[in-house]
Amino acid sequence: MTVRIIAKLDVKPPHVVKPIHFEGLRKIGRPDDLADQYYKQGADELFYIDIVASLYRREILFDEIERTANQLFIPFAVGGGVKTIDDFSKLFHNGADKVVINTHAVQRDPSLINKAAEIFGSQAVVVNIEAKQWGDNWECFTDCGRIQSGKDVLTWVQDVEQRGAGEILLQAVDKDGRQRGFDMELAKKVVNVVNVPVVVSSGAGSLEDIKNLVEYSGPSGVAIASLLHYGKVTVRSIKEYLRLNGIEVSK
Amino acid sequence: MSGLIGIVNYGIAGNIHSIKKAIEQAGGEVQIINNPTDFKTVGKIVVPGVGSFKGAMRELETDGFIDDLQKTDKPILGICLGMQILTTLGFEYGKTRGLGLVNGEVKPIICDAPVPHVGFNKITVVNESGILSGVEDEEFYFMHSYEVVNYTDVSALSEYAGHEFVAAIQKNNLYGVQFHPEKSRDAGIKLFRNFIAV
Repeated sequence: MTVRIIAKLDVKPPHVVKPIHFEGLRKIGRPDDLADQYYKQGADELFYIDIVASLYRREILFDEIERTANQLFIPFAVGGGVKTIDDFSKLFHNGADKVVINTHAVQRDPSLINKAAEIFGSQAVVVNIEAKQWGDNWECFTDCGRIQSGKDVLTWVQDVEQRGAGEILLQAVDKDGRQRGFDMELAKKVVNVVNVPVVVSSGAGSLEDIKNLVEYSGPSGVAIASLLHYGKVTVRSIKEYLRLNGIEVSK
Repeated sequence: MSGLIGIVNYGIAGNIHSIKKAIEQAGGEVQIINNPTDFKTVGKIVVPGVGSFKGAMRELETDGFIDDLQKTDKPILGICLGMQILTTLGFEYGKTRGLGLVNGEVKPIICDAPVPHVGFNKITVVNESGILSGVEDEEFYFMHSYEVVNYTDVSALSEYAGHEFVAAIQKNNLYGVQFHPEKSRDAGIKLFRNFIAV
């Protein structure tokens, strides 16, 4: 089984930004430029998350998404501010292959997951988890790691799987952007309680962090942002390193 | 025969944008098929598929595409669910009759690994097919929870966590791929180039 190496763009249109702990945004570049760069480096997929759409209660900006999708011949997952089946539909027509949802499903209407899965297929519905640790438990947060939901992560991921979600994007609010390693315990627990693929994000600071995560938690994909944005590594060098360490990756 | 490649636009679920771009990148000219009369002007047909087996058949019915797809002798390329609905029967959200152009059924993937099966995976060609020429050992992008079973006209297989499944089929003018060539980098563009040439 190959592990997917995914480039993640946190977007505050028109810029890709990189927050630390989901706060303090730093501008990195334009989404279409970075998408092209990571595509050419051999990324298996690209995730595009408009991190402020829900927070600002504004509509999804489709033009930016379409421009980013334009010369991309790999899967493109898009999220941020998705509230309705119509949003899903418009995103697919603007070049998304998968749609990522969080806030609306966890805070208001979980049945959006059921409806979307029936219409678009499970494989096209990704649920984003923004997890924050309290003692031995993790709680789901929304709106860019700001708002509590009262939902336990391990319970919620099983719930969304039942509802038809086809993939989990797992982010850890406390680890995100710090580049000091992943929350490997959380990742392992989530991978073990669901049968759908889990993509783990938040915390990669070195090639070794990625290797450790894959070996310890067994995710089906790893999403990388900061480490790529600051040019410390390329997708190609990540794949070479993992391959040398006996971890299967695509070409 | 017209050199135009028609992409069937049905329902609200189609990812036709990506497929159109990939065919154009491969040097093809695309016409979106929005209603049945558009079939007349194209030389080849691509059936995309995002959604469920049941949903896709319902939308094709509503848009009046079924008859033309069943009767045409033009080359058809079904992608992912677009391949699955070429078969006789699907088991996604209940039992639904497919286009019935090839014998086979579509059932959930059962294996010891996460489903949907998502990611790049190598194919193995078991019977030569025009669209697979030059990409025999390439990796393609898969994103599916269901697979075609009980089928004989297999042109390629793939393997996921030890579970072997149908990756591509061909019967006369009908081609189908379980993977997404429009999401498979240069190998996918090459496959579209082959389809343009068949």
